[in-house]
Amino acid sequence: MAKTKVAMELGMGTSLRRQDYTKAAIRALQDALWHNSLTMADAFGFSREDMIVEVEIGVQKPEAVDIEAVKAILPYGKGSVMVVHGGLDIAKPTDKASSNPPADTDKTVIANAAVNVFFNMQPASNKGARA
Amino acid sequence: MKRLILEMGTGNDLYGEDYTKAACRAVQDALHHSSLVLFRSLKLSHEDMQVNVTIGVQKPEAVDNKIVAGELPRGNAVVTVVKGGLDVHDKDNDTLSVIATAAIEACLDINPDDWEVEK
Repeated sequence: MAKTKVAMELGMGTSLRRQDYTKAAIRALQDALWHNSLTMADAFGFSREDMIVEVEIGVQKPEAVDIEAVKAILPYGKGSVMVVHGGLDIAKPTDKASSNPPADTDKTVIANAAVNVFFNMQPASNKGARA
Repeated sequence: MKRLILEMGTGNDLYGEDYTKAACRAVQDALHHSSLVLFRSLKLSHEDMQVNVTIGVQKPEAVDNKIVAGELPRGNAVVTVVKGGLDVHDKDNDTLSVIATAAIEACLDINPDDWEVEK
């Protein structure tokens, strides 16, 4: 049975003014994590540190995300972070009367986060033997 | 019964003052930020799942529990409504926006002795 997926959590985060893809990713991850309280480790009699937490982030500029900073958000378990091209960037409204062309940085950044939670688990070998 | 997860969400009815609608939206928000994948992975039955829904709104008596329970796709849902949430009164425009909070507990009869972490 081995590595078994027990839950998935989903979230969205933004950077409204600073085009900070890491901040948007962190907010997406926090949105995913703090909408739920997982109590499965307790239910199965495992330690929360046994949780394997795989984070997938989608943003339009994956290379701009500081993976270690995103990983630092995870409160427990064995974490890993993967960033792919996704999320959404939306250009800000431009003032057509202005002679200044809109800068590439004038956009709103949206990140998506998916958190997959696993345990390396199996049916107890001495089933029912423990009191 | 062991609790697997507590899912939290919020929903509103901006101008209709419909507390049931706000509660249903809060339930949907709570539900769709997560998935209990273990039911598929471990081939467990959703029918054995107990679902406790607690709704917070400023007018609990205005919520139709049956309609809210209908939002739960799986498991045996029990809906409790308490005073909570938030009503936002815009005095300038004489409107009332109602905000509902939903907390959903999913519970299952798991015997911890039946499972172990692989070494």
